[in-house]
Amino acid sequence: MSKRSVQFTDNQFIDGLRSGDNEVLTALYKKYYNIVLKLIVNNSGSQEAAQDIYQETIIVLYENANKTGFELKCQLQTYIYSVAKRLWLKQLKKGGKTFLFKEEEENEVADVTEEITEHEGKENEIEQMNKSLLELGEPCATLIKDFYVYKLNMEEIAEKFGYTNANNAKTQKYKCLQRLKKHFFDHTTIEQE
Amino acid sequence: MRQVDLFDDYLNGLLSGEEKTNFENELKNNEIINKAFQEHKQLLEVLQTQNKRKQLKDKLKAIHHTEYGHNTKIFSINQEETFAKRHGKTIAVAASTAFIAVLTTVALLSTGGYLFTKQNNQITNLNRIVMDLKASQDGIVEGITRPKRTVYAPAKIEGSAFALNNQGYVITSYHMVKDADSVFIQNKDFERSLTRVILSNPKLDIAILKVENTELIKNWQVPFSIKEKNSDVGEKVFTLGYPREDMVYGEGSLSSLSGYANDSSMYQISIPVNPGNSGGPLLDEYGNIIGVVRGKISGAEATGFAVKASEIISTISNAPDSTQKEVTLLKNKKNALKHLKRTEQIKKINPYVFNVLVYK
Repeated sequence: MSKRSVQFTDNQFIDGLRSGDNEVLTALYKKYYNIVLKLIVNNSGSQEAAQDIYQETIIVLYENANKTGFELKCQLQTYIYSVAKRLWLKQLKKGGKTFLFKEEEENEVADVTEEITEHEGKENEIEQMNKSLLELGEPCATLIKDFYVYKLNMEEIAEKFGYTNANNAKTQKYKCLQRLKKHFFDHTTIEQE
Repeated sequence: MRQVDLFDDYLNGLLSGEEKTNFENELKNNEIINKAFQEHKQLLEVLQTQNKRKQLKDKLKAIHHTEYGHNTKIFSINQEETFAKRHGKTIAVAASTAFIAVLTTVALLSTGGYLFTKQNNQITNLNRIVMDLKASQDGIVEGITRPKRTVYAPAKIEGSAFALNNQGYVITSYHMVKDADSVFIQNKDFERSLTRVILSNPKLDIAILKVENTELIKNWQVPFSIKEKNSDVGEKVFTLGYPREDMVYGEGSLSSLSGYANDSSMYQISIPVNPGNSGGPLLDEYGNIIGVVRGKISGAEATGFAVKASEIISTISNAPDSTQKEVTLLKNKKNALKHLKRTEQIKKINPYVFNVLVYK
């Protein structure tokens, strides 16, 4: 499929993921895509769904690989297959469908419960954050992201948003943040109850 | 110092050794502060995870696109365009249907306009409401064949706009950006960028937008300036705009110093203007801005109207002080376009005329 195929070991894949190596990421993506595609398409999913689940799976792998002390306890292929399967089962359940899950016997499955639970938890938090940012509105949402995510300093923010100086921008950021916290945590508590 | 700033400084490693120890002790001993700090940290982590996941997802989509794009017909879509994500497959089909509908509408507009000229001699606003679906269909086809190109959801309304100064301020028609969720501008040289509506005058139908990301306008050198004095009847004038995806040039002369219903805030021009021309510049033969294209009379095909430049200037000078300070107009400055041939003028002006994409 590719012009030149470099073979990577499981550990090289993990290291490449950690260092953000695009060549490794591409090779990884290509190596296991068909396994996941087959799994999803055989279980009433579309190609688009397979693509989506597969990308989610790599995100799970990526986030775990970047944790200190992460160690792959099974083959990378088994790991990816297991995560993809769990993610897909979850989505099927959400859709309210129950049926026999078809899979090929040669595929081993590892226990990835912890990874899945954590991923879902964060995904919920992100959804909550998106909702809160939407409620927060502009310019607050962008201002908060500019400061905390894109790491712009207060001078840059002042200039971008038209505040007279960095101190005013800081006050504005403070107000925005207080409001964001209210939106974010109020909802979270309600959901927990 | 606000508590939050202390938290941020601590997390960013900006506290001195002693400050750091003090703060850590406080976290241990003061439960209220500790709880506030943990919440703060959690919030920032969510923001950062959100961004990281999105970035990785975009990267993976791009990889997928490059590797499998040709046979799966899946295209990458930005976060804000969830519509296209949900309806991606149907857009191409819908767009071709819509295009047929557009042809019908356009035909109706001209014949209908003719039939009702007397009763309904109103100005037709020239935004492209449905036209752009054709463009978006092209976009999708291109997106499929050309990997890596981001395909955006079709904008609800498209029109034109042009730069007022080097600080990222552009002017367009108010009727397009009214009630908009988001307004983007783009052209061949200028990547699609989000703008904010900072001033609008519904009566004159003009709105001033500002490009949000100042990084993008760093190198702006707007070649034209605004002519304060009114122009004369018979002057040769031209327009540039985006009635479709590509820039379109139109020329003619200034036919009247008043617009529809003797409105003295407008010029009448003998240039056929089309949906999408709204918000584009009207220039005299020296390349001075003398107006903003506004619309036409239904049925009168070779007639257009433009808001006079003097009205733009007075709108800005009537704005609140803070806005006035922001929008410095390039007025009557030495005109670099004056002695150039028309084709050369257009080459210089082109980068500062934009296609406006409005999402509602």
